[in-house]
Amino acid sequence: MRRGGLAVYAVGVYAFLHVPLLILAVFSFNASKFTVWQGFSLHWYAALAQDRDLIEAAGNSLIIAIVATALATVCGTLAAYALWKRASGWISGGLYLSLVTPEIVTGVSLLAFFQWAFRFLNLRLGMHTVILAHVGFSLAYVVVVVLARLRSFDRGLEEAAMDLGATEFTAFRTVTVPYLAPAIAAAAMLAFTVSIDDYVITSLVAGVDSQTLPMAIYALARRGVSPMLNAVSTVIVAGLGALVLVSERLRAR
Amino acid sequence: MNRLRRFFLAPAAALLAVTLAAPLAIVCAYSLMTRGAYGGVERPFTFENYTRFWDPLYGAIVWRSCWIAAAATVLCLVLAFPLALFIARSGARKNLYLSLVILPFWTSFLIRTYAWMFLLRDTGLINTLLQELGAIHDPLPLLYNNGAVILGLVYGFLPFMVLPLYATLERMDPSLAEASADLGARPFQTLWRVTLPLCAPGLRAGSILVFVPCLGTYLTSDLLGGSKTILIGNLVQNQFTSARDWPFGAAASLVLMAVAMGLLLAARRQGEQML
Amino acid sequence: MGAAGAAACSRRPRLNVYNWSDYVAPDTVANFENETGIGVRYGTYESNQEMLAKVMSGNSGWDVVFPSNDFIGPMRQMGLLAPLRAGLLPNLDNLDADFRHPPWDPELQWSAPYMWGVTGIAYQSRLDPAPRRWHDLWDPRLAGKITMLDDAGDVLGAALKMLGYSINSGDPAELERAKRELIAQKRWLRAYVNAEVRDQLVAGDVAAAQAWAVTAAQAMQAAPGRLAFAFPEEGFARFADTIAILRESRRQEAAHRFIDYMLRQDVAEQVVLAEQTATANGASRALRDNRVLYPPAEILARAEWEEPHSVEAQRLRDRVWTEIKSA
Repeated sequence: MRRGGLAVYAVGVYAFLHVPLLILAVFSFNASKFTVWQGFSLHWYAALAQDRDLIEAAGNSLIIAIVATALATVCGTLAAYALWKRASGWISGGLYLSLVTPEIVTGVSLLAFFQWAFRFLNLRLGMHTVILAHVGFSLAYVVVVVLARLRSFDRGLEEAAMDLGATEFTAFRTVTVPYLAPAIAAAAMLAFTVSIDDYVITSLVAGVDSQTLPMAIYALARRGVSPMLNAVSTVIVAGLGALVLVSERLRAR
Repeated sequence: MNRLRRFFLAPAAALLAVTLAAPLAIVCAYSLMTRGAYGGVERPFTFENYTRFWDPLYGAIVWRSCWIAAAATVLCLVLAFPLALFIARSGARKNLYLSLVILPFWTSFLIRTYAWMFLLRDTGLINTLLQELGAIHDPLPLLYNNGAVILGLVYGFLPFMVLPLYATLERMDPSLAEASADLGARPFQTLWRVTLPLCAPGLRAGSILVFVPCLGTYLTSDLLGGSKTILIGNLVQNQFTSARDWPFGAAASLVLMAVAMGLLLAARRQGEQML
Repeated sequence: MGAAGAAACSRRPRLNVYNWSDYVAPDTVANFENETGIGVRYGTYESNQEMLAKVMSGNSGWDVVFPSNDFIGPMRQMGLLAPLRAGLLPNLDNLDADFRHPPWDPELQWSAPYMWGVTGIAYQSRLDPAPRRWHDLWDPRLAGKITMLDDAGDVLGAALKMLGYSINSGDPAELERAKRELIAQKRWLRAYVNAEVRDQLVAGDVAAAQAWAVTAAQAMQAAPGRLAFAFPEEGFARFADTIAILRESRRQEAAHRFIDYMLRQDVAEQVVLAEQTATANGASRALRDNRVLYPPAEILARAEWEEPHSVEAQRLRDRVWTEIKSA
């Protein structure tokens, strides 16, 4: 494979990946609602800023993602460590099953379960069910990432620490965790992304108070062309892009 | 050692019990029951929901889901491999190129699907441009068909194929390819007989990471398929909402999972373990 | 709820209202909040089934919903509705005579009629010949540019009418024939869409659509002169959207105040003007000359009210709908 040819091809694929999003961004500044350019305008961004429901949905998404990420990362890291020490067929099998279950199945099964359970508990669908669902499906991702890193960790380091008098937990805390830090960070980012982006599962288990950003976006997308949606997309892409670039800079340092 | 380990595993075990085991058990139970008058489930236990799948109508849906997922996977593979090769060989700029691949993945899947709605509609950008250029007279029906769904799937899942391929290619020893060239193989032969077999684990991982979600896709076929392209995911969703047949939806879910699991088990190899 | 939202919530009572999309004027809800001090969380849906799926559990969190008339009976049977207290709804007197004792709720015990409409064909006026019957939606010349509603009742109703049956038929043989026609139509069908078709009509993506009169009127307002609406000659469905209170609601009083507010003449008029709807409010005179929204009596004579079905008929219809969609 000639290097030049590959490079040209790579440019083509990158264009395929990024140009649609760029086009969305360009047309978010279109004064007209249709696909004919009719002048530059920030009208849709202004509409965005005034849409109370959309902003509330974004806030909900953030809260859910942060809480779910925190819980999933902690539980997942601990589980990965335990699995690394000694495998457990049940847990591994369960995590694997959770990874391969299609989203729609996870969603409807959680809905069915919650509706059944709520006959006995005095609860209803809401933020808590969404967060629980998100932790559930993020867990496996966290375990996979952390476990992969653990596989290249030298057990001897922990044993050395224990020989020097540390308890098992202290060894874990002071020797293993720092080594795992990049993987834990990566797992957290992955869990955060998966949570922020989820539509199918969230829409099924959300309650009255837990409209999330993807749900709001879907409601807009269903109605056809909406330049406000272009504006939302651009804001999200720009924001996340900035986040990724910043994290790259921090890592490279 | 055991106590700490059990303590560490407990939260994950509890989570799995509540968010996976119990829900799936309920779904299994529901799949054997009868639908309520306006929704929900009722007592008579029956296998009818499963026997309903013998109807060629639903077999067609399963088949359609499989071939669309397969097409998307193959396309992803073909598109991703040269790109992964490029990134793996790009030396210092690797991280930058990887980030560029991952960046779209970070944006919402919904938004990426909507981007294609925007482009493919009859009055969308592609048709408008083609009409302006005089290439066509009437707009092309680009949206609301199988092709649009496959395109949307490829666009959404391409990063999932690039990453495992890149991971395997990056770990591959370059001297193997050099040795092959030294022994007189042309570049294509080296690629076909040395590089590809060596990155088989990455190919398998990527294929699974793309095929399984595509098999159960709901959003893409809903938005880009115009609710005419019914895949298993749509069938399940329909039963739990407008068709009010939870037991049948539950049975369809389990059929979907069975197909996915079957393929995964068939593709499994000794020693390869993610978990 | 965000921290700020939670703080606001604890200070004033909150009503959760679940309505069709584009069914209130931009300031209707805000005005209600200002007048009464009751905060409103306003959610929208695109179909009755979507709404029912959410509230069926009996603890969804919604207080006020807007079911169509044929859903009142089933929802009552499922125990989902709370009885209305007429004493708290003085504005019921504003209702049009037609809607004071409607067939689905003669004493208005469970629902208050809100807006009504019919199902017909919205189309691009440049089409020649213009669609006049349901049969015209089976026209191969319009292939790829026809849409039907994403609703079993409406779609089956159109096919049944085309075949000369009642839209509410539960007869297996009739439904089977309708099913065959509808599966044959899929070849030319673009999609099953509800109110979302409005933007596609305006943009010109769709040539002829089975649409609710409201959707058509909204589209016609957005694209003056380019669109038209036909009341199919074989007959068509008529429905009314009503306001109901869910039995699970713990804010019955606030819910009643909301309904009474929506029954006010000025509020109804604002909604009609903003969203191009036909109101059941007799006092409102807005848009009465709009033929799409308020067709003359001889056209309305061809209409048939949508009615709820027996349990067996409902199951059969749902099953037929799945088969149509899966084909």
